[in-house]
Amino acid sequence: MDVPSRNRPFVLLVAVILAQVLLLAFQIKRGQDVRLIRVWSAELLTPPQRAGTFVISKIDSTWFGYIDLRHTRAENRQLTTEVGLLRLKNEQLEGQAAEAGRLAKLLGFRQANSSVPTVAAEVIGASADSNSQTIFINRGASDGLRRNMAVVTPDGVVGKIFEVLPHMAQVLLVTDKESGVGALLANTRTHGVVKGTGDPLLWMDYVTAGEKVPVGEEILTSGEDRIFPKDLPVGTVVSMKPGSPIQTIKVKPAAHLDRLEEVLVLLTEQSLKARESDAAAGSAAPETKSPSDKAQGRAAKIPKSAVTTKNTAGATKNAAPATNHAKTPVKTPAPLVKKPAAAAKPGGTSPAGARR
Amino acid sequence: MTVRMDSDAQHIEVHKFYGGAVAVVCFLALVIQAFLNKFSTHFQLLELPLLVVVYFGLSRRNSASGLLLGTAVGLLQDGISHTPIGLYGIAKGFIGYIASSVGARLDTEHPISRFILMFLFFHIHQIVLAITIHLLLARPEPFFSIPLLIASLVNSAVAVFLFAGLDRLRR
Repeated sequence: MDVPSRNRPFVLLVAVILAQVLLLAFQIKRGQDVRLIRVWSAELLTPPQRAGTFVISKIDSTWFGYIDLRHTRAENRQLTTEVGLLRLKNEQLEGQAAEAGRLAKLLGFRQANSSVPTVAAEVIGASADSNSQTIFINRGASDGLRRNMAVVTPDGVVGKIFEVLPHMAQVLLVTDKESGVGALLANTRTHGVVKGTGDPLLWMDYVTAGEKVPVGEEILTSGEDRIFPKDLPVGTVVSMKPGSPIQTIKVKPAAHLDRLEEVLVLLTEQSLKARESDAAAGSAAPETKSPSDKAQGRAAKIPKSAVTTKNTAGATKNAAPATNHAKTPVKTPAPLVKKPAAAAKPGGTSPAGARR
Repeated sequence: MTVRMDSDAQHIEVHKFYGGAVAVVCFLALVIQAFLNKFSTHFQLLELPLLVVVYFGLSRRNSASGLLLGTAVGLLQDGISHTPIGLYGIAKGFIGYIASSVGARLDTEHPISRFILMFLFFHIHQIVLAITIHLLLARPEPFFSIPLLIASLVNSAVAVFLFAGLDRLRR
């Protein structure tokens, strides 16, 4: 560099001062025991590095975000297809998981009441008539089903077998106008009959005006109808209107009647007469031990879980085709399963549904 | 010996000194400064290295040599002080440069002008020192104070006599 001779001393001054400033910078330490020369170096070099990084990142994002997108459209199509397939698969798996959950619940119920012979059935259809609350299940006479057998879920009472065909059966739901279940209030043990109204809610009849019925109280089967075992959940009280001499009590069903897919049919159909004769026979004929005794024991095991349900309008869903449903072998010896005709007790408390 | 040089249509007198005189005087200034400070804190008012830098700067009237001489004396002073090396080097180098430049333009032989110049150079030296300490060490350092004023007056007075004595070393 050609410096005019007149300016040489000044250039020299600057150079000498600069050299000494650098010399000082090597010695002086700032804040975190960092030498000043290091601080200056960093401050000198960092801005260009930042600028470089910024420029490169912009170029990079521009290239990969705009220019290098040649195969994006095809890839997008492929990914959209894959997402669709995965969604479908996910829905199938979710359905299977839900089904497994329901089946596990049923299995748990059956294991908890192992003395009760049951048949698991899938709901395959509902009534075409909007005035009747019925469903069809994929079990029939060939599976040991007979009329008036109780149909339940782990949540509570569903209804009873109404018509039996060789390989399917029609179930009259407790919400049907013709249905009735012998029931009692869980706390006061006040007896009554829970009847269907054709609506999602049931109503409990024959509870006199003097009885206190709090909202939310659980209602259980009383066993007096000789269809449903004792102490199965029927529903909960949702409202009570005092009346004379009978109160108007509305009940929400314990079972999720609007989303039934799997149910259990209790193969415990027996008459009071048979039960009485069995009781009289006592231990003399153990092979003919009354299932009602079993039912008593079973009733103690049935959990009295309070169940909330949704609206039962549009009562059932069509279940998937019966392919892999569980079937419980009928554990009870054939003689113990009595005909419904023989089950009716003359003069007994018989709900309307049972009379049908 | 006085050398007259024609430069930019100006007559500049450049004084020459006996061989080694500059080095010996500077060395002695540093030694005496350190020696005197040992005996009394009052001697801290004196800035003998600054005085000799100013004197040789004014006398030789060469910016480059004034700068280098000031820097060398300053660095040596840093070396025997508890300051980062370069602190006094910068200040005295700058004063050497300024003194050389001023010496080429003003009458620096009269005692009053020497007193005034020394007074100014002392404060310029202090300002440069304070700026350097502020910027690099991030430490507070006064640009001006009463003790500094007294020191500048003392040094200016000493300079009048010292410079007269040093004039004898000229060839």
